Amino acid sequence: MSDTPNPTPKRADPKLLEILVCPLSKSVLHYDEAAQELISRTSRLAYPIRDGIPIMLADEARTLNDDEAARHGGA
Amino acid sequence: MAHDHTDPPGGKTASFGFRDVPAADKQKLVGRVFQSVASRYDVMNDAMSLGVHRLWKQAFVEWLAPGPDTALIDVAGGTGDIAFRFLDRIVPQGGTGSVAVCDINPAMLSEGVKRAGMRQDRDRLSFVCGDAQALPFRASQFDAYTIAFGIRNVTDIAAALVEAHRVLRRGGRLMVLEFSKVDVPGLAEAYDAWSFNVIPALGNILTQDREAYQYLVESIRRFPPQAQFARMIEAAGFGQVKFRNLTGGIVAMHSGWKL
Repeated sequence: MSDTPNPTPKRADPKLLEILVCPLSKSVLHYDEAAQELISRTSRLAYPIRDGIPIMLADEARTLNDDEAARHGGA
Repeated sequence: MAHDHTDPPGGKTASFGFRDVPAADKQKLVGRVFQSVASRYDVMNDAMSLGVHRLWKQAFVEWLAPGPDTALIDVAGGTGDIAFRFLDRIVPQGGTGSVAVCDINPAMLSEGVKRAGMRQDRDRLSFVCGDAQALPFRASQFDAYTIAFGIRNVTDIAAALVEAHRVLRRGGRLMVLEFSKVDVPGLAEAYDAWSFNVIPALGNILTQDREAYQYLVESIRRFPPQAQFARMIEAAGFGQVKFRNLTGGIVAMHSGWKL
């Protein structure tokens, strides 16, 4: 047992990411590790990951612009 | 607080304490309540229930009786109260059990993450900000779904129950812990006096937020009683629905299975 508590992991847990879907469309998400966003192509939304916690609320998500939607659509 | 009490055409209202508010506003109002009390949530729970909330949560996890490999989703459990009790029970058994804590309120989640940081079984826990009415999980992922003192605050309870059913595997179990209807004469009067006089005053002293606790007391009275809530669980597709009262029905536990 160490005296210092484990720091909060700032990256999302990969096992968790496997079971997450877009709450609106229930479709798969693309993980943009650099941006720390989970992207739903179907809903055209990017859900932020803050301090390692995915924020899976449509109200908090960023709407994808046309370029991004096309890029993720073509992936 | 300014609210438009006129419903939009076809609009729905939801109860916020004893007030009816437009359904879309309830979530925001509830969010504000929990935002304001998150850091003192335990202190308030202890004061309001004279510590008994700990026994209720313990009884709840005991009735769940999770096995060592149980994959649990605990909804509205931001501060980790149920998740930690679950882990305390399963980790000594070995196995691969884990818990995903899903809460709509970031302040409650931050409190849980902070507490989880000191635990040795931190790797069995994950935290997600999500809405019980639109869960961000694939179908059929969990063996058990728990929601403790949370479903009362959900705007569309039927939608939340349908989502619970979706994310559970066949053979999975739903369990709800919630304030309910006192069924013991004498206790009902004492409980009313405590609820309407003492709790808002305690809330005011401990959190400087009387309104949050006034909401709490009123919302408890508006929540459907035991048998009626059991029928809502059945309507969402669950079978073998049962409930047990605790402390004379101040609190009830409901259980249902995805068959």
